[in-house]
Amino acid sequence: MTVVAVVVFVVAYVLIATEWTHKLLAALGGAAVLLALGVTDSEHAFYSPDTGIDWNVVFLLLGMMIIVGVLRRTGVFEYVAIWAAKRAKGSPLRVMILLTLITATASAFLDNVTTVLLIAPVTLLVCDRLGIDPVPFLIAEVMASNIGGAATLIGDPPNIIIASRSGLTFNDFLAHMTPLVVIELIVFTLVLPWLFKGSFTADPDRVDNVLRLNEREAIQDTRLLLKSGAVLLLVFTGFVGHAVFHVEPSVVALLGAGLLVLTSGVPTKDYMGSVEWQTLLFFAGLFIMVGALVKTGVISDLADQVGKATEGKPLLAVMLILTVSAVLSGIVDNIPYVATMSPVVLELAKNVSDPSHAQALWWALAAGADFGGNATAIGASANVVVIGIALRAGNPISFWDFTRKGVVITAITILVAAPYLWLRYFILS
Amino acid sequence: MAEDYPVVNLDTDAREAVELLASRRLPGLIVVDEKGKPHSVLPASQVVRFLVPSYVQDDPSLARVIDESLADQVADKLSGVTVRKLLPSEPLELPVVNHDDTVLEVAAIMARLRCPLVAVVKDKEIVGAITASRLLELVVAPH
Repeated sequence: MTVVAVVVFVVAYVLIATEWTHKLLAALGGAAVLLALGVTDSEHAFYSPDTGIDWNVVFLLLGMMIIVGVLRRTGVFEYVAIWAAKRAKGSPLRVMILLTLITATASAFLDNVTTVLLIAPVTLLVCDRLGIDPVPFLIAEVMASNIGGAATLIGDPPNIIIASRSGLTFNDFLAHMTPLVVIELIVFTLVLPWLFKGSFTADPDRVDNVLRLNEREAIQDTRLLLKSGAVLLLVFTGFVGHAVFHVEPSVVALLGAGLLVLTSGVPTKDYMGSVEWQTLLFFAGLFIMVGALVKTGVISDLADQVGKATEGKPLLAVMLILTVSAVLSGIVDNIPYVATMSPVVLELAKNVSDPSHAQALWWALAAGADFGGNATAIGASANVVVIGIALRAGNPISFWDFTRKGVVITAITILVAAPYLWLRYFILS
Repeated sequence: MAEDYPVVNLDTDAREAVELLASRRLPGLIVVDEKGKPHSVLPASQVVRFLVPSYVQDDPSLARVIDESLADQVADKLSGVTVRKLLPSEPLELPVVNHDDTVLEVAAIMARLRCPLVAVVKDKEIVGAITASRLLELVVAPH
């Protein structure tokens, strides 16, 4: 059974990584084969978060997708982005810095794909008005989105998986990942002028074109904006107050989504249209495949090997996880990677006596996987989405155009994350 | 039932073609290739789609933030462009009927291709076109 579980997993993983088949087909097909061959069963696949589908992850994603589906209709994101571009007074560098910071902040609370879907059209508009190439701006924004998404539990799907497997809370992410992301964003902002040298020349006569944009027109329904703001506040209170309310983030998100749907009056097809059913099913298939590896003992064997390779030294394990995660997340989607690695890290953490060292293993996985998504054009879903938007707008971004910058930013972010983890969890703790 | 209809070719200046559409209030234009054979139909709605920037198509709320004077500049996209560029990137099935096809056959083609205009050919040569309004006129005419 162990061999079958490994073979099915590897074949499905290769199919997902190479995109020879649709990733949903690979994940659900792999899960179906494992169920059909009796490697796992319905009890393990559907009723155990350790060996099957982690419904907390699936429903947290579902709830947040519905909330975002309503929120994006308010126009608030467009308002803020255009307001910022006007405050930049048409200076391309200032426009890039402000838009990347807005993207990073929004990504901490919305999923990265939604954030770039909202910011990219505004960016194209501003660049069009200024008569400058939007490609550097789009690349910078998607990178900021991948960095910013690492800041919170809900910012990036890998973080949701990590939180569910590790038991780390929304506040743990705020206390441990947010400071790292703030540092990363400061460094990222400082690097932007160098990374995109030669991209910041605009015709001064066109600056007025940006200043004449009317951001107030983006918000059509003020009541919807207020209702959405109030519900979002309640949802985040629920996330932050987990220790007080003892309500799981998935339940908070679902309750928030329900409340928003009831009070907003947005038509069903509009908010349900923003639910990515394929992604949710992909998660389900993936969890069953990884669960089969846990059930058959493959994951604990793998964790033993990693433990031996790092000679029981937590710092070495942290640095290994950080680096390997960054490299692999640039090559394969970071969601299946983290789904696979989470049980391994869980096993490793059990054998580490110091709790802060054990926690550092999880932060290394989060940082490596989230920041590693920047490495290549296919490292994160948001990268693929932005490249598609740019192509439709007549500004194609080649794989290498993206990857040349992506590798540099990934290297820098990992070089910043490594001393952060070392100092905070091994020197100062 | 076919009527005389203006024809443009793939290398016709886009602004010229749009002016033709606008001045004669046409639902679309028949596009022919270098040999004068029917190539495609360019519906007016496709031209409108071309004029709308992709970022406004992705996020329609952005149309509201652009003021009138800036919005008026959308036609600038037509300068230096030919009809070939206005056509959809994915080739569409050519809406074409034979000169002796019935009203129902023409209506079926229009409905299936959602096209307001079909080219009418005889011996592979264009002899005219039928617009949706001409078709409806024939349908409701007393027999």
